[in-house]
Amino acid sequence: MSAVFAASPGRALRLAATIEAALGTVCGGLLAALLALVLATVLLRYGFSAGFAGAEELGIWLHVALVFLGAPLSLAGALAMRFDGIVQRLPRGGERAAAVVADALTVAAALVLALGGGRVVGMLGGVSPALGLPEGLRFVAPALGGGLMLAVLALRRIGEGRGAGLSLSLAAGLLLYAASNALALPAGLPPSAALGLFALLGLAAGAPLPHAFLAAAQLAVPFGSPLPGEAIVSATVGGLSKFLLTAIPFFLLAGGLLTVSGAAARIVCLAASLVGHRRAGLAQTALLTSVLFSGASGSSVANAAFGAATFQPELVRNGYPPARAGAVVAAASVLDNVIPPSIAFLILAVATELPVGPLLAWGFAAGGVMALCLAAAIHLTAGDETALPRAEAAERRRAAGRALPALGLGAVVVLGIRLGIVTTTEAAALAALYTLLLCLAAKSGGMPVAAAFRQAGAEAAAIGLLIGSAAPFAFLLAVDGVAGLVSSFAGGLGLGAAGVLLAVNLMLLAVGLVLDIGAAILLFAPIVLPLAVAAGIDPVHFGVVLVVNLMIGGLTPPVGILVLVVSGVTRVPAAALFAAVLPFLAALLVALALLSAGALLL
Amino acid sequence: ATRLTVASLLGEDKPETLVWHHIRDQVEAALPGRFAFAIVANAALGGEKEVAEAMRLGAVQASLFTVSALAGWAPEVQLLDLPFLFRDADHVRAVVSGPEGGRLKDLLVAQGFVAPDFIDYGARHLLTKTPVTRPEEIAGKRIRVLQSPLHTRLWSAFGATPVGIPIPETYNALQTGVADAMDLTKSAYAGFRLYEVVPFLTETGHIRASGVVAFSAAFWNGLSEEERAVFRAASRAGAARFNALMVADEERSIALAQENGATVLQPEDRAAWEAGARGVWQDFAETVGGLERIEAVRSLG
Ligand code: NA
Ligand code: NA
Repeated sequence: MSAVFAASPGRALRLAATIEAALGTVCGGLLAALLALVLATVLLRYGFSAGFAGAEELGIWLHVALVFLGAPLSLAGALAMRFDGIVQRLPRGGERAAAVVADALTVAAALVLALGGGRVVGMLGGVSPALGLPEGLRFVAPALGGGLMLAVLALRRIGEGRGAGLSLSLAAGLLLYAASNALALPAGLPPSAALGLFALLGLAAGAPLPHAFLAAAQLAVPFGSPLPGEAIVSATVGGLSKFLLTAIPFFLLAGGLLTVSGAAARIVCLAASLVGHRRAGLAQTALLTSVLFSGASGSSVANAAFGAATFQPELVRNGYPPARAGAVVAAASVLDNVIPPSIAFLILAVATELPVGPLLAWGFAAGGVMALCLAAAIHLTAGDETALPRAEAAERRRAAGRALPALGLGAVVVLGIRLGIVTTTEAAALAALYTLLLCLAAKSGGMPVAAAFRQAGAEAAAIGLLIGSAAPFAFLLAVDGVAGLVSSFAGGLGLGAAGVLLAVNLMLLAVGLVLDIGAAILLFAPIVLPLAVAAGIDPVHFGVVLVVNLMIGGLTPPVGILVLVVSGVTRVPAAALFAAVLPFLAALLVALALLSAGALLL
Repeated sequence: ATRLTVASLLGEDKPETLVWHHIRDQVEAALPGRFAFAIVANAALGGEKEVAEAMRLGAVQASLFTVSALAGWAPEVQLLDLPFLFRDADHVRAVVSGPEGGRLKDLLVAQGFVAPDFIDYGARHLLTKTPVTRPEEIAGKRIRVLQSPLHTRLWSAFGATPVGIPIPETYNALQTGVADAMDLTKSAYAGFRLYEVVPFLTETGHIRASGVVAFSAAFWNGLSEEERAVFRAASRAGAARFNALMVADEERSIALAQENGATVLQPEDRAAWEAGARGVWQDFAETVGGLERIEAVRSLG
């Protein structure tokens, strides 16, 4: 391939762009199909008192296809979810070497998906009883996506005149992949530690995080990892095969369409007219809006994406530095999984059998404490960027009237869930439909709407790939019994209630640095909860502390999913966001300390 | 030692995990130091379907499965899931211990799942927000069902609207009223604290949730005859222990539910319930090996 394009880098770039445009259209189409499916389910239930047995499974299949066919779209730009903090500080030669290493890991990850996925198609067997389709069909998308990822990477590097580096990366990636399948190293490093180490190295070299995870899972094979390539792909697909996760593309789409229809700008106009004249008024309003939205959605990732698509650009337009605006959005989105409904509390309840009702009730209280701490941080860190003239009463009324349709979105979601008409996922789909209607009413035109579908599809693919690619790591941590080792160590220290709570908090903060919240809850909650109960701490209070703690991990490098999502949507570099989020991180740690004290005293 | 990774969906103190401690201890007693069990609880290796896939792909060597989780590979096992076909646990046991059980085991082996014995998760019962004892009372209600044609078909036959809701969303959906009813085993009813949102449990026992103790064929084929005999015996003893633990767990669960305000009802007009289920038998006859086979199973025991 290099020979054909070496003479014409322009042709290589054009072909890459053509492939990306086609995949963008496919992703937009899959998202539209997913939306139609979920809406049809609601319509069937209420219009025809009927259900479709395969709806949930088909939704998952569409989401999986969307994630992997969209994977080649997040090679460059902020959707790549790269941590560039170290690479930026390297001298020029080091930076180039790091780029070669990073690309080699992308090559290895693409090979895992393409070859592993291809083998699963042949090996899996079985027919989905609900859909009547071969189960292996689900893995065609990872196989295809891996192959296309490789093609797009090669074409882009040739187009950028980096053919030599590409040759090195291809050779190194192929060698790593082949060697990891052929070698068996003497036992020493546990496979999960090997995976973690390789992922960290990849991250330091600036490889996209999902690629680092996938390549590291493959590189853990010689260390005795029980996951061969095909099982890595199967675990990755399994990690994102949760129907609840399909809410993410819908909230992303709603965010995009809200902007297209002009409604997002109106919400911010209203906010500005109400509190814009105050110190950091707009950021406070973004926070308040996030609090209100938390009552409607249970996914912090979805809300981070939503806020990043809607409020971050408006904050920037009103004079906020882009990184600080993104940091406000990322920090506020933590509240989503604390203020009910909350996917995190549901996972916790399932993992530990804690009662859902009291968890949600305490979630309200905890969310309030966290919101107040964030408000204080916004107030204290405000610069002079927010001084707007005080609005007249008539102006405020006009702004409120114009923002009413957009505010109706919150009502649709909240009422839909609270009145028991729809589930969380369906509410997300209704939100997307509502914003689509807003676009129709505003005569936004077909082109911007189609672009919003493509954009949301690409973003959902990047986020889904990250969630999925963390699953092999979680698998190895579980097999190596890492959680059990930690708990027996903590048990041996003989600490009191305060000591246990402090130790567990510190441990969970460390866990939250690198692990996705869902996996962290499933892995660690059943282990640390008995420790807390034995120390005399109320299990529900402890559960709330645990969720708040792990949610804070969404803001910390290297794996701060909320920061990475905001970075992906806003194109603000992750390193800049991690720096800008520090004051809010401090505020949330204060909130965590207050909640921990509450758990001890109440 | 040969390593084997064992996946359990539930916690360390649940029968689903305890059964593997039991099997491990027996294997260790018979073949000291030969096998290293990594028993991973709490669904940390994924849900039932992911674990079944991981077993086919060589990442997991053993697990318990409900037969419905394996229906994608061996559709005939749905014979054990047919509604109102089995009178009680002894009836199921008689069927799976006989030639029918042997036939199903062979079908599973052909798909890479070696199943030394069957297990009984207990019966699924109807859970509702308002009392329901006759089939006509469930008509018009929205019932949360497993995403399987068998379950959808059953509740549609009674005029209910099947709603597919993932289990983590189910509590919320029942609380808010997206669904009015669901069906589950007694242990899971208490485990998920569903008595808080569907306080009426009608002992329909409509589906006996059967399962298997399963090993991956790749692992099993690597064992010597002697080792297989040890694993087979340990699995059978483990299955018996599991069934006993589940019975005790069900009693505890229902007592806990009743302490928390749950009401246990007896179904009325059993003939009408069974008549509704017959449509499902018809629909699945071809899949599970013919109506005659179903009738033979029905009259057994
Ligand atoms: Na929420
Ligand atoms: Na983190």
